[in-house]
Amino acid sequence: MSNANIPPPPRVPPPVPAYTGPGSPQDVPPPPGSFPIDPATLPRPIRDEVLAPDPVAIDTSAAELKDGLNRCPKCGATDIRHKPGSDLLICLYCRNEWHGVRVEEEFGFGTGIDQLKGRVIASGARDIAADAANLMSFKCTGCGAEVTVNTQSAMTARCHWCRHVFGVNEQVANGAVPDAVLPFHIKKDDAVARIRQFVDKRRMFALKAFKEEFTPENVIGVYLPYMIIDGNVSADVAGQGEIETRRYTQGSGDKQKTYYDADVYQLERHVDFTVDDLTLESSTDRGNLDTRANTNNIINTILPFDTKNAVKWNASYLAGFTSEKRDRDVEHLQTRLEDQLLSIARAQVQASVGQYNRGVRWEQERLSVHGTRWVSMYLPVWLYSYHQPGSKGGLLHYIAVNGRTGETMGSVPVQQWKLIMAALTVGTILEGIALVILGSSS
Amino acid sequence: MSDDGGLWLLMMGPAGATGLYWFLYRYYRNTDKSHAFEHETAVEAKPVTGSDQKVNEVKGTQKTRIPGDNVGEYRKRVQRIQGDSS
Repeated sequence: MSNANIPPPPRVPPPVPAYTGPGSPQDVPPPPGSFPIDPATLPRPIRDEVLAPDPVAIDTSAAELKDGLNRCPKCGATDIRHKPGSDLLICLYCRNEWHGVRVEEEFGFGTGIDQLKGRVIASGARDIAADAANLMSFKCTGCGAEVTVNTQSAMTARCHWCRHVFGVNEQVANGAVPDAVLPFHIKKDDAVARIRQFVDKRRMFALKAFKEEFTPENVIGVYLPYMIIDGNVSADVAGQGEIETRRYTQGSGDKQKTYYDADVYQLERHVDFTVDDLTLESSTDRGNLDTRANTNNIINTILPFDTKNAVKWNASYLAGFTSEKRDRDVEHLQTRLEDQLLSIARAQVQASVGQYNRGVRWEQERLSVHGTRWVSMYLPVWLYSYHQPGSKGGLLHYIAVNGRTGETMGSVPVQQWKLIMAALTVGTILEGIALVILGSSS
Repeated sequence: MSDDGGLWLLMMGPAGATGLYWFLYRYYRNTDKSHAFEHETAVEAKPVTGSDQKVNEVKGTQKTRIPGDNVGEYRKRVQRIQGDSS
């Protein structure tokens, strides 16, 4: 053999794919549910193991509500509503009030984050079945009629015949029923006042049509789907930092220049940390924060919510409000989660490099996710929207109010010509001043 | 007045116009806003550990910061070394 003495080539690890912009995956996970080998070709014991159902770690489903009827514990009526401004449910028949169970205590979501290992998924955050339908029908136990609920936008309905109120409480596989819900605290009048106040501060250059059609009373209360994630994480970062050792000037007059000497250090930092209730949008549309195409960043900005006060799912909280259904699974959100965890790690180590007064250039970073816990939740948002016509379908502007804290953020469409005129006017005045100064000094 | 100073003064008009435009545009549209999860999420971190080793010296540079300074740009990803993820 002629090539027997040639040493084998050194094993080089494959290069890490480059990061190419916000939200893009650093490491694309395999599609959810996919498996690199056809399980049918595997030996039976392995196949059985692979095909066995995944364990559900925390079961948050409410067996007592599975027939869709949420009855008043005192009188048994089904006309249950959320009492505005509180976390209470109220029976519209006998006025009995009661409080939902906080999931934080009921399922221990706030504890043991530093002990998390692997991925724990609450039952309401399980993967969405591809064939699950949005429309759900119930057989009314009062009169036997069929009642249909479109879970795409609503979670309650009333029987046309006997007036029973139904709610989707069973954790069906279409992702519509979360583990928990955070009821609205901010009332509609308050939300309207906040939106009006927000827009009143942005009227001068606002689009004329927007101002003419501005009716904040049209604000809609929406429950939006989110994943609330606890994580137990370690991160390492490495790079170089510089400390200034000397500063001096050379030359004189116009030619004077400042020079710096500096010591260069190779830095490594390691941090172990836990995050409690990191909130990610679990709807594809809402999670797309491209500000050139939409204004979803407005809804993102009003985070965070006091998710510690979320109560166990009960569709009666949603009566009178609309809702959007979750369409993202845990696997889809993993990349975005890791991206945010790395950002948190970089923010955490910043204080430890304060002495590097010429800055630090981080060059490498590593994340080890020891454990995560995923809970799906509906969070309350007051949304006012305005559609600005334009090319490619125009742009939908939102003004959003956090239904718990009242934090308000919005996108007000601008009248471009007015804005440009104002900028040009100020620019001309400044230029005039500059010319006067130049003229007087020469 | 020097040529440099004159040029700077003449730039005042265009710079002021551009600056005002962007300030107002962002004030109305809030395109630069998003959830500051780095600071608004409850994070419990153990003390940061690590090492600092002097490797070089820079003499007579006119730059006021290290090239590629990204200490405050938490969201700009750098080369990712693969760790364990679950």
